Amino acid sequence: MYHSIYDLVTGPLTWLGFGVLVLGGLFRMVSLYSLAKKKDASSIAYNKAKYGIRSILHWITPFGTLGWKENPVITVVTFVFHICLLATPIFLGAHIDLWDLNFGVSWPALPDHVADIMTVLVIAAGCFFAYRRVVDKTVAFVTTWKDWFALCVTMGPFITGFLAYHQIFNYQFMIVLHVITGIAWLLFIPFGRLSHAILGWYSRVYIASEFQGVRHAKDW
Amino acid sequence: MKKCITLMLALAAVVVFILPAFCQEDITEIKDPAFQTLKRPAVPFMHDEHNEKAGLDGCLPCHHEGMENGEFVEGDPAKCADCHEVAPTDDSTDLKTAYHQQCIQCHEDAAKGPVACGECHVK
Repeated sequence: MYHSIYDLVTGPLTWLGFGVLVLGGLFRMVSLYSLAKKKDASSIAYNKAKYGIRSILHWITPFGTLGWKENPVITVVTFVFHICLLATPIFLGAHIDLWDLNFGVSWPALPDHVADIMTVLVIAAGCFFAYRRVVDKTVAFVTTWKDWFALCVTMGPFITGFLAYHQIFNYQFMIVLHVITGIAWLLFIPFGRLSHAILGWYSRVYIASEFQGVRHAKDW
Repeated sequence: MKKCITLMLALAAVVVFILPAFCQEDITEIKDPAFQTLKRPAVPFMHDEHNEKAGLDGCLPCHHEGMENGEFVEGDPAKCADCHEVAPTDDSTDLKTAYHQQCIQCHEDAAKGPVACGECHVK
């Protein structure tokens, strides 16, 4: 019973997750770009890689923009959250071992205790965001179920991964739940709130080109 | 006379080999000293109990002496680390992967036994 569940989630369902991530992501990028070309051709004409890259480089630098300087706590938590969120699953030793076993590819891994701390940082930052959505009236006003859903999907694999690594509760149950929540993570990246991971760059290039190319002003 | 010598030699062989045979302690965990520092807890492994449960008579499918036509060749029950290095400089299988491949693949094929990290590396 356990073996067939484990095989199902780590086999076909994992392929489905990565498939939807790649194909769904490509579909969203292509369809939104062609929609923008159709509806907003005059703005697209001003889009330039130089403006986009300059803007993105500022916005991915902590305190590199006026926006990031305005609220230092949010800035620090946001950067810690996103860096740990991406680096932990990619550079986790156990994940790399699975890549190595299944595809014969590997790359340097983070020490387990460092990955463990980074996981805790993701969970802590997620709690901070949740707290803010409830307590900060401005944020609460614009919060819908979609934001809570995105937060839950994002946190799922980290909470279950932490519990599985430390072997808290039933391990087999937790590891299967970890894989399922991880697949949900991949499935939802191209859609809804989480799609900012692949589409946020578009907005940046768009705004950057309008500010720098048309108004001759900085957008950071 | 000839028979007597043969018998004596046989007896000598028994005396020589019986002690090490009984001295060999039961293997209860896999804690390969080749790994100088362990990243995960050592794996509890009752060698004889495992083989009995899995219905393994010979030393294959675990211990092998190289490969021929994609199949393992049965050999002396040598330790994995005798051939597999922790960090090989060529493209041979490293020690960790050798352990992982041997255990996980067999358990997957048999649909029995541990397959995920924490099932073997128990805290």
